[in-house]
Amino acid sequence: MRSGSSAVEFKEFKGLRGGTHGFLPLFLLLPAVGFVLVMYIYPFVLSLLRSLTDEMGRFSFVNYSKAIALYGRDILFSIEVAVLGTLISTVLSLALASYIRLSNSRVSRLINSLTRIGIFLPYVVVAQMMRSFLAPHGLLNVLLANIGLVDINSPLQLFNIKGLTLGFLWKETPFITFIVLSGLQVIDDTYIEAARSVGARTHHVILRVLIPMIKPTIAIAVVLTFCTIVSTFTLPYMIVAGNPTTVTVDIAHRVTYFGDYRVASALGVFLYLIVGVMAVYYLRRAVREEVYGY
Amino acid sequence: MWRKLGIVIFGVLFFCGVLQAKTTLLYMTAGDINMLALAQNVIGPMFSQRYPDVDLRTIHTGPGDAGSRLIFEKLKAEKLAGKETWDVDVAMVHQIFLSWVKDEFGDLSELLLKYAQDLSTWKYVTSPQAKYALGVPVEGYVMPMFHSQTAIAYNPKYVPEPPRNFDELVAWVKAHPGKFGYNGIKGGMSGVAFVNAWVYWKTGKYEKYAITGPFDEKEVASWEPVFKELKEFNKYVTITAGNVGTLDALNRGEIWMGPVWVDMFYTFMLTGKMDPNMRLVLPAPGMPGQPMYFVIPAKARNVEWAKKFVEFVTSPEIQGKVIVAKYNWYPGIDGKYIKDYVSPEVYNRLYRDISPEELQKKGLAFPLSPYFKAVLESYEKWVIGG
Repeated sequence: MRSGSSAVEFKEFKGLRGGTHGFLPLFLLLPAVGFVLVMYIYPFVLSLLRSLTDEMGRFSFVNYSKAIALYGRDILFSIEVAVLGTLISTVLSLALASYIRLSNSRVSRLINSLTRIGIFLPYVVVAQMMRSFLAPHGLLNVLLANIGLVDINSPLQLFNIKGLTLGFLWKETPFITFIVLSGLQVIDDTYIEAARSVGARTHHVILRVLIPMIKPTIAIAVVLTFCTIVSTFTLPYMIVAGNPTTVTVDIAHRVTYFGDYRVASALGVFLYLIVGVMAVYYLRRAVREEVYGY
Repeated sequence: MWRKLGIVIFGVLFFCGVLQAKTTLLYMTAGDINMLALAQNVIGPMFSQRYPDVDLRTIHTGPGDAGSRLIFEKLKAEKLAGKETWDVDVAMVHQIFLSWVKDEFGDLSELLLKYAQDLSTWKYVTSPQAKYALGVPVEGYVMPMFHSQTAIAYNPKYVPEPPRNFDELVAWVKAHPGKFGYNGIKGGMSGVAFVNAWVYWKTGKYEKYAITGPFDEKEVASWEPVFKELKEFNKYVTITAGNVGTLDALNRGEIWMGPVWVDMFYTFMLTGKMDPNMRLVLPAPGMPGQPMYFVIPAKARNVEWAKKFVEFVTSPEIQGKVIVAKYNWYPGIDGKYIKDYVSPEVYNRLYRDISPEELQKKGLAFPLSPYFKAVLESYEKWVIGG
C-alpha cells in the first residue's frame, strides 16, 4: 500500500517536472521574464513611443529632427569619445595585463594591485579629481610648467575631448586589465614556454599566443567599456566645458531646463542605437560560440 | 534562543515606537549641497531645540532646476496617485517650480497650500518676488527664504577699473582675450544668468520678457543678431566647467573676470577657497537673481508644524544670524528687519560691492518660462550650432 501510493506520487511528480511542456516551466520563467518586461522592456517601449509623439500626442518625427538639429554634433562627439576611449584603454590594458602575466617581479605585483584602485572609485570622484588635475592652472599644467615644457600663460587646454578621454582611460584601463588578466591567468604556462622554446620573443608570445587565446574575453571587456563610456554622465558633465559635449549631458539639459522628455527620449534612442551595435555584435558572437563552438 | 530573539525584536520595535512618538517633519530641498548642510546641521537642530517634539528630516534633491524638478515630480505623483495625505510636509524650490505647477495643473492650489498670509512673519516680506515668480502670481503660496543674485566677480590686481555696464564689459573682454570666463548654459545657472542678462541688454525688453509678457514667438526670431554677437563675443571668452568651475578658475588666476553667484562667491571666500581680494560688480542694466521659496504641499501631513518651521526660518533672527551671517545670502525678508541681528561687519560685507539701492535697481528676475526656454534654445541654435 505504502509503496503503491509513493509510486503514483513519483509518477505525478515526474510528469510535472520532466516535460518541456506544461505549466511548471512557464511558471518558473515568470519572475525572470516578468522582471525584464516590467523593468526593461516597458520603459524602453515607453521612451520609444514618447520620442515619436509631438506635443499634441500625435505620431511625428519632430523630436528627432530637433535632436539632430541641436545635438547632432554631440551625438558624433559621444561616438568619437567612446571609440577613442575604448580603443586606447584596450591597447593599454593588453600591454599592462601581458606585462603582469609574464613578469613575476615585485614591480609587476605592485602594479597589479595599484591598477585595482581605479576600478573601485566612482566616476564622480574621478571627475572631481580630474577637474583640479587638468585645469589650465591645475596640477598637470603647473608640473609641466615647472619642468619647462609648458608656458603657464598659455597652458594646455584639457577641458575638452582630450581631458575627457584621459579621464575615461584612467577609469577604464584598470577595468579592462582586470578582466583581461583573469583570462590570461588561466592560460597554462606550458604554452608560453613552448613558444619561447621555438624562439618566440616576448612580443610574439603576446601577439601570437596570449591575445588570440583570450579573444572572447577581450571582446566582452571592449563591449562593456564601450557601453559604459557612452552612458556615463558625471565625467563629461563635470569636465567638458562648453561644446561639443556628450549626449548624456544633453539629455539632462533637456529634462532639467525644458522638462522636455520627448527630445530627451529621442536622444536616448540614439544612445540605444550606438550601444545596440555593440550589443548585436556581442550577442552574435556569444551565440556563435555557444551553439557552433567557434 | 527563540525567546531571547523575540525579546530583542520586541525591544527594538518598542524603542522605534518611542522614537516615532516624535513628529517627523519631512523637508525636501533643492539646491546645492550647502542647502542640505543648512537644513541638517543648522536650522534642523535649532528648530528641534525650540520645539523638542519635532524632528526635521531633510531630503536633498540636488542642485539647479533638476533638484526642483524631482520635488515637482514627487508631488505630482502623489497627487495623481490620489493619496489622502502626502509624504512631503514642506519643500524648498526654485521659481521655475511654480511655472511648472501652473503649466501642468492650471491652478497652484491643485498642488500647493496657500499659507503665507497665516504666518506672523508675512509682514516682513516686501520683495516683489513674493508676489510674482517668472510672471506667475504666487502670492500666498510661497515664502522666500533668501534671495541669491548673480554678479561679475573680478580680480582687482588685473582689473583696477571694473566695467560698470555691458558695453564696457564687452570692450574689456575684447582687449583681454581668454580672461573672461563663464560656463555656457549646460553647466549651471551662473552662465545661464549671464546669457539672459545679455539678452536684456541687447534687446532692452526686460519688462516684457521678465514681468509683463506675453510670450511672442516673433520676438524670438528677432534675436538672431543678438545671439550672433554673443557667438562673436564667445571667441574672446574661456568657457569654464560649471558654476564652481568659474570660481576656481578665478581663484587660480586662469581668468580675471566672470559671472558668479554672490553667495557662492562669499562662501568660497570664508572657507578659504577664494582669494579674499576678489571683488564684485553688478554692471548695468543688471543681472538676474532668484529667491528660493518655501512651499507647503496641498495635502501635507503636518501642516501646522510646516507653517511653524517656515515661520521660524523667516523670522528676523534666523534670517540675520543664519541666512545672512553664515550663508551670505541676501535675506528673504526685508533687509531692514535683520540689522539688529547681525554685526555691522557682516552687514557691510554683504552690501560692500553692491549696495541695497543698486541691488534694488539692477537685481533683475529671470525671464518668464517660455522666454527662458527660448533664450536657452536660441543659444543652442545660434551660438553653439550656427
